[in-house]
Amino acid sequence: MKFVENIKYFFSVIGGLTDFTIRFFLEVFRPPYEISEIRKHMDELGVKTFSIVSVTGFIIGLVLGMQSQPVLARFGAEMFLPGMIALSVIRELGPALTALIFAGRVGSGIGAELGSMRVTEQIDAMEVSAVDPFRFLVVTRVIATTLMLPLLTIYVDFIAILGGYVAVIITQNMTFPYYIQLILDAIRFSDLIPGISKTFVFGFVVGIVGSYLGFNASKGTEGVGKASTTSVVISSLLILLIDSVLVRLTLIIFPD
Amino acid sequence: MIRVENIYKRFGDLVVLNGVSFEVPKGTTTVILGRSGIGKSVLLKCIVRLIEPDDGKIFIEGKNISELSLKELNDLRKDIGFLFQSAALYDSMSVRENLAFPLVRHTDLSDSEIEERVKETLRLVGLSEAIDKMPSELSGGMRKRIGLARSLILHPKIMLYDEPTTGLDPVTSKEIAKLIIDMQNKFKMTNIVVTHDMVVALSTADRILLLDNGNFIFDGTPDELIKSEIDMAKKFLSTSLD
Repeated sequence: MKFVENIKYFFSVIGGLTDFTIRFFLEVFRPPYEISEIRKHMDELGVKTFSIVSVTGFIIGLVLGMQSQPVLARFGAEMFLPGMIALSVIRELGPALTALIFAGRVGSGIGAELGSMRVTEQIDAMEVSAVDPFRFLVVTRVIATTLMLPLLTIYVDFIAILGGYVAVIITQNMTFPYYIQLILDAIRFSDLIPGISKTFVFGFVVGIVGSYLGFNASKGTEGVGKASTTSVVISSLLILLIDSVLVRLTLIIFPD
Repeated sequence: MIRVENIYKRFGDLVVLNGVSFEVPKGTTTVILGRSGIGKSVLLKCIVRLIEPDDGKIFIEGKNISELSLKELNDLRKDIGFLFQSAALYDSMSVRENLAFPLVRHTDLSDSEIEERVKETLRLVGLSEAIDKMPSELSGGMRKRIGLARSLILHPKIMLYDEPTTGLDPVTSKEIAKLIIDMQNKFKMTNIVVTHDMVVALSTADRILLLDNGNFIFDGTPDELIKSEIDMAKKFLSTSLD
């Protein structure tokens, strides 16, 4: 019974989210553009997530390298390890894992912050003072998450590659310039574009889901908590679903 | 100045407003009195279109607010101050930023002019020293005063107070009531005060409306309320004497 209710709730959120997204695209191109608010949110998002994505990125590369090394060694293909680490990180692990961490850290924060503003009448106060709260609170946050996640992903990719180098030098005697050279030989332009492009979509999903649930929070502090946790669950699910579609789409567009 | 005609509002099966009508003449203070949860705040929020009534019309300065476009509504809202029950200060902004927010949005004032207006308005509510504090550092009474200052900063023609003394001790409640009277004497606004606090009602009102079961059961001056034989009015008066 609970499972059925959860499924119903999930689809009701998706329905509301669709209307919310349409409203976002109707509002986003209209002035004023609130550049200073967007910049402020981007700063906050960067500060909030910098340390956790740094650690995660490094460990992703390290673990991936350590796990893959014996497998490749079995086939005598250890020289492919740097390229394999870089390709795995750039094409999939970097974008997907950074997006999931971003959803946990930032999505929950947006849900809680806007939810709290809703239940303490701050959003009503903004509306009564003739300021459109959707434009000021939602549009600015969604733009900030959409722009910030790709930047964080590029950073995580570099850090993970660095972590991968640590895994490599544990078992092999390889200089860092040679490691980088092997990576540059392995990756193509068509590997970079899809990985980075999809993070714009993931960033948008995190921002819009957190904003939607926070903006429509009700029932006092219980509603704030629900907005926060649900935003993590829904945005993580959507990231994984959208990722599976985008991976297929990428393989069609870039068949090599 | 404000005319409310036959407003109906229900939430599910619960009828909150059942054909409410009243007028508030320009420059006067009308208090809407009633028990908690009876629909007073809903009525106040209908007046600024934060809540859409199911039926009925509301006219402000002759304009039917349900027929206004969002831009026209926002132009009208610039002339309305609204003190929320919780004060609704923006948590992420300091007191200075809270007060400056409407000025930055809606006026062409320079930074120094905004700073001067913020300080002047804080002086009015007696909280000049709180300018650099964050809302979390303020007491309940201070939050209400800062909320009032923010509502007044654009010099509105209409001021709406939603339970201005809820959660405050009797002494602070009296101070807030005095502040409402002082602001009225200074700015000559058209006020609606929603409250269940008889001290505030009797001290600030030119006219009192008593709301019960979705409609008004009393409409008169504070003196008439004191002399009223209506059971609910007597109950309110007896609690204020306790």
